[in-house]
Amino acid sequence: MLTNKRGSLIGAVLAVSIGILVIHVNFVIFQGLYDAIIRDMSDYRFGDVYVIDEEDFIEKSDLALVNWFERIPYVEAAAPRLSSSASINATKYGQKTEEFQIPVVGVDPFRDTRVSTIHETIYDGQYVFSRNSLVVGSTVAQDLGGVEVGDSLKLKIVDRWGQDQLKRFIVTGITNTPGGQGLDTSVIIHIDTLRDMLDRKGDTGSLLVKLNDPTKAVEVKNFFLASFPNDDFKAETIDESAEDALRGFRSGIAMINMIGYFGMMSSAFAIVTILMMLVTSKTREIGVMRAIGAKRKDILIIFLLQGVIIGAIGAGVGTALGLSYTIYAKETKMQWEGSLALEVSYQWQKTVQTALMAFALAIVASIYPSYRATKLQPIEAMRTV
Amino acid sequence: MDKTYGEGETAVNALKDVSFSVNKGEFLLVVGSSGSGKSTLLNMIGLLDRPTNGRIFIDGVDTMTLDDNEVSAFRNSKLGFVFQSANLIPDLTVLENVMLPRQIQRTDESATTDSLKLLRGVGLEKQAHKRANRISGGQAQRAAIARGLVNKPTIVLADEPTGNLDSITAETIVQLMKSMAKKLGQTFIVVTHEREQFGDVDRIITIKDGRAFEGEEAPSKIEVTV
Ligand SMILES: Nc1ncnc2c1ncn2[C@@H]1O[C@H](COP(=O)(O)OP(=O)(O)OP(=O)(O)O)[C@@H](O)[C@H]1O
Ligand SMILES: [Mg+2]
Repeated sequence: MLTNKRGSLIGAVLAVSIGILVIHVNFVIFQGLYDAIIRDMSDYRFGDVYVIDEEDFIEKSDLALVNWFERIPYVEAAAPRLSSSASINATKYGQKTEEFQIPVVGVDPFRDTRVSTIHETIYDGQYVFSRNSLVVGSTVAQDLGGVEVGDSLKLKIVDRWGQDQLKRFIVTGITNTPGGQGLDTSVIIHIDTLRDMLDRKGDTGSLLVKLNDPTKAVEVKNFFLASFPNDDFKAETIDESAEDALRGFRSGIAMINMIGYFGMMSSAFAIVTILMMLVTSKTREIGVMRAIGAKRKDILIIFLLQGVIIGAIGAGVGTALGLSYTIYAKETKMQWEGSLALEVSYQWQKTVQTALMAFALAIVASIYPSYRATKLQPIEAMRTV
Repeated sequence: MDKTYGEGETAVNALKDVSFSVNKGEFLLVVGSSGSGKSTLLNMIGLLDRPTNGRIFIDGVDTMTLDDNEVSAFRNSKLGFVFQSANLIPDLTVLENVMLPRQIQRTDESATTDSLKLLRGVGLEKQAHKRANRISGGQAQRAAIARGLVNKPTIVLADEPTGNLDSITAETIVQLMKSMAKKLGQTFIVVTHEREQFGDVDRIITIKDGRAFEGEEAPSKIEVTV
């Protein structure tokens, strides 16, 4: 009743809402970016569980391992890959271009399309389908001076005995991933072709396992390791694979979050300032209330209640705004200028936490102004006109 | 009682050895020149401030023994205030303003009917549901009088209640207070500069240089007793 200053209250509510909104926006963008990178790492390069040999190559039959995995109910599919590096040069209009050293990934086309979405990133042509087809990463294609589908490229690979092996391929597709987490800087060929060139028949570099329930990754990994105790297998979940790669990014997120919370603190200062102004402008009314018998406690409650109202409305409005932004980002698969689309998720616990924190902060921020209001002496208060 | 503002060199002895008692139902006028100590006296009786020395008994209660909360409760139940400016809460309606002392006390039920009855008494029944900042100064002061009376206080204290009003409005306010006093048997202590406005009253106290004297005139020579 003393405090019916709508303008200033709207200001305070806005301060709280904006604080919350900033935290939500930060979260959507940076957590979204982080999750998008993990999503792409999983989709293009690691699957949900990634298996390699601790020392060298996996010598067990890839077929046997794939079958073993695919018997687990949580497992959607598994596929082998083999990596090496090659020198490459293109022949374009009869002219040889410069030689490059680039990574080569050998895939089993039939199985690979079931564990990875890399085949969906071919924007021109199609995925590896025959022994001499070659998919070129967009960066490589560019570096080679604009390789196109149908061009022929010669790869030179050093085999296990140190001998150069040369083979001519036909470019069947060009892969390009937004955000560059895919194989933009590699070339992709048939795994058996690569095995032949390396003279590593039956060897596999890594096994990508895709789960239909990604939350079971640890379980599947542990089950696998326990089932093959005598092989030097090393398996890691996508979270573990991402761990090292994204450590820097994660501390970045932590920092951004800190900034969000500092923003919230400044909202609290805004509330203190606004309520102090309110107390000052209501000095006379406070004096009257005290004169007609309001106790200090009554005045305290009136102004604290103001903090509660500001906190509640601010938290509500801020959360609504934040969620609207989150929904918008999720529905539109928000991305910037061809960079990767954010992987937006709803984090209810964090949403509630943020709202509660803002609410509590608003109340804490109203304590001092409320206390000041109770310290006004009725005669002093009424003297001010 | 005595009241001294400040300390040392700058100390002001606003009230010196003032002592009197007021009878129930009395309409007491306090007059005196500016700065003589009238408001100070009223603030002491209203328990808005404490005397430096001395005691104030209201309804047989030694008010000096009350703590802050008790003083608030005492002000609420035993004292009514009418200030120079009406001091209504602008965002509340006239009726809500009048009910305010009741609501602070939290003994409700009849608050609305009593308040409406008082508003009718001061001729504001039509304005009851208007917001307090939408009525004239004279009407606001009537509402303030109703607010001062709503808790059926032991004493209503009014400090220059007509000070902000033109003479015609002031006249009606004075008549209103006097008639309410008579009708309700209500004790009033009214400070004023405008002795004439009030005509006949039960009793007058004159303050001069912080000392209180019965009657309309202070003796021209003051005997100082130490
Ligand atoms: N809070 C205060 N601090 C210091 N001195 C004060 C204070 N309040 C009043 N005084 C002084 O006490 C004396 C009496 O003041 P008071 O306000 O009681 O006079 P008054 O009779 O009500 O005057 P007026 O008719 O102008 O309202 C004055 O000298 C005044 O300056
Ligand atoms: Mg005065």
